[in-house]
Amino acid sequence: MPMIKKQNNKISLGIFDFTDCEGCQVKLISLREKFLQLEKNLEIKAWRLGQEKFEPGPYDIAIVEGTPIMPEEVELLKKVRENSKILIAFGSCAALGGIPAILSEKERKYWYEKIYGPNYKPRGIEAQPLSFYVPVDVIINGCPVDENEVLKIFEALLAGKKPYPFDYPVCYDCKKRGNECRILKNLPCLGPITKNGCNAICISGGSPCYGCFGLRDGANIEALIKILEKIVDKKTVALYLSMFHKKDIKYDQQ
Amino acid sequence: MINNEFIAKIEGHGNLKVDWKKNKVVLEIKEGERLFEGLLFNRPAEEAYWVTPRICGVCPIAHNLASLNALEKAANIKLAEPIQLLRDLMQCAQMIQSHTLHLFFLSLPDYLEIDRGTELKRKNPDAFKKALALKELADNLAIISAGRNVHPTTPTLGGFNKLPAKNDLTQILKQLEQTQKIAEWLPMFCETLNYPELKVNLELITIRNDAIHSSHGDVISVNNYKENIEEEIREFSTAKFSKFRGREVMVGALARLYFEKNNYPLDFQNPFHNNLAQAIEIKFYHQKAIEIIEKLLTFNLKKYLEKPEIKWSAEARGIGAVEAPRGGLYHEIYINEKGLITFINIITPTVQNLTSIEKTAQVLIEQHALKSQKEKEKLLNMLVRAYDPCITCAVH
Repeated sequence: MPMIKKQNNKISLGIFDFTDCEGCQVKLISLREKFLQLEKNLEIKAWRLGQEKFEPGPYDIAIVEGTPIMPEEVELLKKVRENSKILIAFGSCAALGGIPAILSEKERKYWYEKIYGPNYKPRGIEAQPLSFYVPVDVIINGCPVDENEVLKIFEALLAGKKPYPFDYPVCYDCKKRGNECRILKNLPCLGPITKNGCNAICISGGSPCYGCFGLRDGANIEALIKILEKIVDKKTVALYLSMFHKKDIKYDQQ
Repeated sequence: MINNEFIAKIEGHGNLKVDWKKNKVVLEIKEGERLFEGLLFNRPAEEAYWVTPRICGVCPIAHNLASLNALEKAANIKLAEPIQLLRDLMQCAQMIQSHTLHLFFLSLPDYLEIDRGTELKRKNPDAFKKALALKELADNLAIISAGRNVHPTTPTLGGFNKLPAKNDLTQILKQLEQTQKIAEWLPMFCETLNYPELKVNLELITIRNDAIHSSHGDVISVNNYKENIEEEIREFSTAKFSKFRGREVMVGALARLYFEKNNYPLDFQNPFHNNLAQAIEIKFYHQKAIEIIEKLLTFNLKKYLEKPEIKWSAEARGIGAVEAPRGGLYHEIYINEKGLITFINIITPTVQNLTSIEKTAQVLIEQHALKSQKEKEKLLNMLVRAYDPCITCAVH
């Protein structure tokens, strides 16, 4: 990953969003005072959601949220890559393909007609992570991203350092928060194979963990699948894995 | 070369194309097809209210509430009083959150001669401090009532997985007392803004007690939403455009306030006043949040953690209808006896507003004909932003 140096005490930034919910950008704004602190070090050259001012680059850092669904978005992604030193995949859609990747190309074709009717000319393509098209330097995971993780990663980048990956599972923080283990309660959970950084927020709220923070290094997927298959049927295992892992875990439910 | 072909400071990707020779406006929507109604097919009912918030990061709570509402009707679940109160509190949080974000970050910069919302810190430090206080309050309200500020984690069918502790409620009540003056100040501040002149024969519609009310007098049950809000497929759009009984209508804050008594100088024929209406609603929902929390504090919430057992019948159907920040939101969901989703239809507020935006943009060009093209372009962008469209919702 290339290192970046401040010019006039600033680092130039472009923020881009492809097809998605824009919730990760909302999280960025939710940093409030802390966002202002970051902003002092940044020259924001492009940010469609936040400003009219627009400069075509080059950027020291480009944040890309969402996943390209329109072919034009793939082209834009390639141009952003060419014009940026560091490219950040921001949130699960950018990092993993996200919720939109639940549908395969074939399924998309079926639903275009169901939803838009037979005369509609579809424009979209199958959702893929950004890394399918271009090299990605930094991944900020989550659906949505977590404020504290965004801060940690940005502080490292602004100091000219490579951000440390979070190399332990969701279970670690889940225990710290005093949650009863879902798996011990016979409820499916992808926490054991998932990177931390979320502070086990979904499980703490009583929701399942679908692994939106992505696979941790050395995740023992096979072992977890064996455990899940003892708790629930294969179709349910497949549903859990399909929420965010359509692109990186192949699972045959037959 | 990277270029910016989309309207800045709105959620999602759209553009008003104007043929200046013919003075003709077309609204183009270029968000990729999202197909949420397809990707939920054959998935468990409980995933609906977990997945639909991902339609929109600005109004995820509204989608969560609409899906829950649809499924609870389908399963014939009646909510206990404090559970309903907490759901209403989620709605308050959503309204204050979304309106604050829209006003200070997306639309007010047009009136205050700044570009990025954070420039307000220099231009008007006091107003900026107040904006941050409201944002913090709204995020905290969302966290206490729904588990997270973006994409809820605690609400579930018939209730909540986790309920707020008494201490959390008294804390947020204190914070509400501190922001009360700000909530009262905001509408006065927005009253002083110089809204562009525009006179449109606007028809405003809103949902009240499971009925759709129009300012032109129509009242229909939400059960008939689909026959009355007809969607149209357009060539240059991945979003559908809808009309209410064949007519362009506006939904959202201005429409809701048409049906509420208030003393503010709102002009219901000028869509720019939607900005003022949002400020008034922040005050309204701020007050409502205080009242709800005071009531919640009289309950022993721990008693309400138990949720009803659900048995899906073969033909379970429900229509969830809620007022989202941008207007009436409908989720219609069918579930089979295995508890799987067999059909889901979603109509969002912005789908309803798109047709009105286009019509009003046309009126704006005519009524401001003497202005330069550049001035007109600026006004058109301001107009689109005043409607607070959410293209990501519209495409869903």
